[in-house]
Amino acid sequence: MTVNQPEPDFYVKRLFLLYGIIALCMLILVGGLAQKQLFQKEDYVEHMERQNYRRIILPGPRGNIYDRNGKLLVGNRPLFSAVVYLNDLRQEFREEYIRIVREARAHYQTLDRLETNLVARQNVVQRYLDDINVILGTEDEVDSREIERHFSQSLLLPFPLMTDLSGEEYARLIEQIPIDSPIQILISSTRYYPYESAAFHTLGYVSSSEEFEIGDLPGGDLLTFRAPAWIGRTGLEKQFNDRLQGETGTEIWTVDPGGFQYDRVEYVQPRKGDDLVTSLDIDMQRAAESAMGDKTGAVVALDVKSGEVLTLASMPNFDLNRLTPFISYTVDEEIREKGGWINRAIQGLYPPASTFKLITSMAGLRNGTLHHDTVFNCPGYLRVGRRLFHCAHRAGHGDESLSDAIRDSCNVYFYHAGLDTGVEAIAAEAKRFGLNTPTGINIPGETSRMLVPDPKWKEDRLYESWFEGDTANLSIGQGYLLVTPLQMATFVTSVARGRTNTKPTLLHYPEGRPEDDIGGEAIDLPPEDMEAIYEGMIEAGNSGTARRANLDGFPAAGKTGTAQVRKDGKPTTLAWYVGFAPADDPQIAIAVMVEGVPDETHYGGGSTAAPVAREVFRVYHRKMEEKAEAEAAMRNQEVAAR
Amino acid sequence: MANDRTSLILRHPLTLMTALLAVWWLLPLGVKAFMRLTFWEFQAPSYYATSHLHDLQDYWAARVKSKNELIGANIDLARLNAAYSLRNQAAEATEAELQRLEELLDLPPLPEHRYEVARVVRRDMNAWWQRIIIRKGSVHGIREGQAVVFRDGVVGRVSEVYTYTAAVELITSREFRVAAHFAGDPRPVQFQGGLNASFHAPTGEVSTVPADKKASLTEPLELVSSRLGGVFPDGLHIGWVYQLEPGADGLFQSGLAKLDPELQSVQEVAVLIPLKPSEEPDIDALPPAR
Repeated sequence: MTVNQPEPDFYVKRLFLLYGIIALCMLILVGGLAQKQLFQKEDYVEHMERQNYRRIILPGPRGNIYDRNGKLLVGNRPLFSAVVYLNDLRQEFREEYIRIVREARAHYQTLDRLETNLVARQNVVQRYLDDINVILGTEDEVDSREIERHFSQSLLLPFPLMTDLSGEEYARLIEQIPIDSPIQILISSTRYYPYESAAFHTLGYVSSSEEFEIGDLPGGDLLTFRAPAWIGRTGLEKQFNDRLQGETGTEIWTVDPGGFQYDRVEYVQPRKGDDLVTSLDIDMQRAAESAMGDKTGAVVALDVKSGEVLTLASMPNFDLNRLTPFISYTVDEEIREKGGWINRAIQGLYPPASTFKLITSMAGLRNGTLHHDTVFNCPGYLRVGRRLFHCAHRAGHGDESLSDAIRDSCNVYFYHAGLDTGVEAIAAEAKRFGLNTPTGINIPGETSRMLVPDPKWKEDRLYESWFEGDTANLSIGQGYLLVTPLQMATFVTSVARGRTNTKPTLLHYPEGRPEDDIGGEAIDLPPEDMEAIYEGMIEAGNSGTARRANLDGFPAAGKTGTAQVRKDGKPTTLAWYVGFAPADDPQIAIAVMVEGVPDETHYGGGSTAAPVAREVFRVYHRKMEEKAEAEAAMRNQEVAAR
Repeated sequence: MANDRTSLILRHPLTLMTALLAVWWLLPLGVKAFMRLTFWEFQAPSYYATSHLHDLQDYWAARVKSKNELIGANIDLARLNAAYSLRNQAAEATEAELQRLEELLDLPPLPEHRYEVARVVRRDMNAWWQRIIIRKGSVHGIREGQAVVFRDGVVGRVSEVYTYTAAVELITSREFRVAAHFAGDPRPVQFQGGLNASFHAPTGEVSTVPADKKASLTEPLELVSSRLGGVFPDGLHIGWVYQLEPGADGLFQSGLAKLDPELQSVQEVAVLIPLKPSEEPDIDALPPAR
């Protein structure tokens, strides 16, 4: 039997075909490999890096805040926390998961995989927290939602088991927890306020946030986790946040497919932020707040020569340490109930009452309707239209000159002066002193709703005509007029400087502040006119309404005011004092405003606000004397050395 | 057949070792712990014997000394005794003053420690271990975590306890961490043993030092133990810090603490055993406060 065998060439051809196909396949494979290895290398490297690396942003500690004498107002204190890195517990999570599943199977139960994972993680973390509980004698429990949130959002960051440990707790834990335990004692920093409630609104507070500038750090294209930073929310902390905020650092870690870190490949150390030297004098600030006691109001004191703010107090205030590391609900409620969130010095709008008579005087003097020797008779009231406008002294002051009227705060005199001068001129004078615009102080939140009313405003806003009674009211700082205590402080500083404006600052200039920065133009009134105003203010301090602000050896020139207002629909008063001292060479200017309590206490400018100013003057005077003594001692030493 | 197996083992010792390691690896944890403990207790008599032999050796070494040398040593000893007597008197006076103040303020006395003095039988001081073995164990009331001191301060902490011996982790160990403070400043700092190789002066690291502390070669800071950690009594000498470096956070500094070189040759230590409640003084029996 013969079998028809194909010709050898037939096999050879088929073999060649096969070789060709294989070669083609190999070519495709090699081509594909070359394409990926040579031409798409960058893409794959980038992809690999994104998949395998994680970046952690580490904020730098904030800089300190000092007062003008170098006293620490805001610093950092260590915040000790016991934490675990969840990636160190992977094995334990798995074992706990298996244990729970086995137990469930033994009891013929079915489990939800996701929920079991949650329980396993919670159990493991709770075990470590229990270790801490045993050492510290506490009974804390972990919050499963917190674990899950951390697991899904911040896996590479440490999970806090217990925060804000005391020194003793910290000592116990570092001594009794083994070094190789997954529990680590982490030290971070939080804000610390050595003077507690002093300058509460001015300094401001910080809160934890993951939203902050990270700058130019490596690994910008990597999946990034941010450790929270302290961000200024109010006051100087907010205004100078960029300066105080430290430079952020970073860590880049390689991670496994589960996202757990296992090797740090890059580290950039975070750096502390710059310090801030403020113009505040903490001793004067505390004196002001102490003199205010439980009263509601504001005290603002400025250095006359530089416009630097020495005191910026708003009451009520609260211990800033209670606002860190976070504001609890009870603290927030307490502050809210007492109206403590409002910075009355820059946000509170009040009629300035009789302190405004200085503006009325200057408006009259500038317009020629009033002269330094102009005399009006005060019978205790003035009829304007069909209404009687009373003087505070119902029996009347009799004949009063300008300086007498300022000394006695005679309303009738200024009704006459205001009516003669006219509302437009008074409003123009008030605007010349900047009472219709924010001062531009370098602290956030200053209101821009201050109001110097005039007929046009009344027509536009209230659709009413301007009456002479409105002018009479405006002349004595009542009616629609609204200013902030800071504005009145800058106003009286300007009067002391003989200028129309003073731009306040909360920064300290040890070498002196440029005159252009302080601002204002000359008041440009004849010297004898200004002299009459100064004399009235000095006499008010010596024997008039502002006498309770005066100190022996440190005479002040001042003006008080008591405004009639309605608060919560009930009548009450606002007590004002504005002044500067020493009267012959002004160094410090101050504005004090105290809110009355409806149905309880009605305050007067002379009886309530002036004594507050005196306490601030007292501290300032004492410090001036101490400084003079120190300088004299130094001079004596230099002379002796020669 | 048996010969073939023997020759296989002899010819392939690595195979045997691998097999044994695999068996060891597969053993349950409890069995391993038991075997480790057994092995230690099996070794313990040899440590004991070696230690006693050393004592005997020291004794005979002293016996062969000349009369003049012995007289000199006796004089030194008498001086030491006198110095210790004085320190003892001072300590007794302080103790009496403390007791008087406690009575005055109606304070209960703080539960303190009793001392268990123990000879050192072995030292493991190298890059891997920084520990000593002492000739006292669980039968003497020694437990893990207890503080160990010597005449110049802190030695370490008991890390393992056996029946008649115990291992003490020295303060030079990297694994040793304790709360401490500087003499005269109660703020806690952290001390951790450094990387100490053999025959090097022992050092440790001190961290979380407040930023206002200053240390220099001429004015070093003395690091002492802190009561806050709950293990050591307050004020026992740890070492001297000659230099501090500020950290990036501006809050803390860190530095190197030089430890007592005697730690490397310490012969005798005392284990501080906290008094049990039953051993504490009876508060009710104390005289009433005045």
